[in-house]
Amino acid sequence: MVLFSIILGCIIGAILGSKAPIIPYTYSGYLAISIVAALDTVFGGIRSTLEGKFDLKVFVSGFFGNAILSILLTYLGEKLNVDIYLAAIVVFVGRMFTNLSIIRMHYLNKFTKKKEVAKNSK
Amino acid sequence: MPKKGMMVVVQKGKITMTITIGLVCFVLVYIMFIQFRVIEKTDIAEIEDLREAELTEKLADWKTKCEELEKQIKEKEEKIDEYKKSAETNEEASELLEKELKQSRMLLGVTKVTGDGIIITLEDNEEHEITATLLIELINELKLAGADAISINGERVVNVTDIVEITSGDIIMNSGKNINSPFEIKVIGDQTYLDSALNVKNSGFADKYSKIGYKIKIEKVKDLEIPKYNGKMELKYIK
Repeated sequence: MVLFSIILGCIIGAILGSKAPIIPYTYSGYLAISIVAALDTVFGGIRSTLEGKFDLKVFVSGFFGNAILSILLTYLGEKLNVDIYLAAIVVFVGRMFTNLSIIRMHYLNKFTKKKEVAKNSK
Repeated sequence: MPKKGMMVVVQKGKITMTITIGLVCFVLVYIMFIQFRVIEKTDIAEIEDLREAELTEKLADWKTKCEELEKQIKEKEEKIDEYKKSAETNEEASELLEKELKQSRMLLGVTKVTGDGIIITLEDNEEHEITATLLIELINELKLAGADAISINGERVVNVTDIVEITSGDIIMNSGKNINSPFEIKVIGDQTYLDSALNVKNSGFADKYSKIGYKIKIEKVKDLEIPKYNGKMELKYIK
């Protein structure tokens, strides 16, 4: 059910996104940083799901909150002539890798456990 | 095992969660695709070297330049309007001038003219020969009678015209053009006035000299054509 809605959302998003009007290049930087923030939240959500701590409110607020906050920070950096978005990218991508590694560990553990269980049962 | 009430809550939560996650995915992929297309369509090679601030600065520069140019265009257009207006008045003035010039040229004799007038024919005969003095007298009288243009044997009489008798019977006019009898004098002017002026009893040219025995013929002609003066006309001493 959830998987189905994810796939459907992705497909509709791809179709509509490829037909949407193009925004000016100046604003594409903001869009990129918000995409990175959103992706970070998504991986965080996957991780918390695997850990059984998934909370929809946290996920949604993180998704939009992080995206908007990162845009605001980038804007501030633009005004201050400091590349704040670099820091945001470092944080988000760093967290993304952490989350990914945790997800990987989780599945590895599951896999090895299954194997052990299979061995033990033999 | 959860109780039945809990199950309903979980079910409800699951539906909202499904929808929300679907929405989140939609938003994410939507934005991503927009970004892909923006990057794809933008000529990055050209812009990459420049920082965004520089670009905005450039944009602002161009905008001010554009505004300035627009202002200039407006000013120029206003000027054009002004010129057009003055050109109209100029045209009137130049028309007047042209008219005046045309008249002056006609008066001066440097253009061919046509008009109603008379042709006087003088011819030598056995008793009398036409002399230069006679021609001058005739021309003088024609001028008095209001002639606009006069020519003798195709030579225009203008203000620098000279009529001189070199030897008897050999008359030149307009600095060297030979004229011989019969003399055909074309005159443009009031036909009746000219005619009557020449035929005044005892003092009019035609009357006076035909009585003595000169051969004078006067005929009224419509649309008489008198050629232009061909010689040079220049001022040498007038300052």
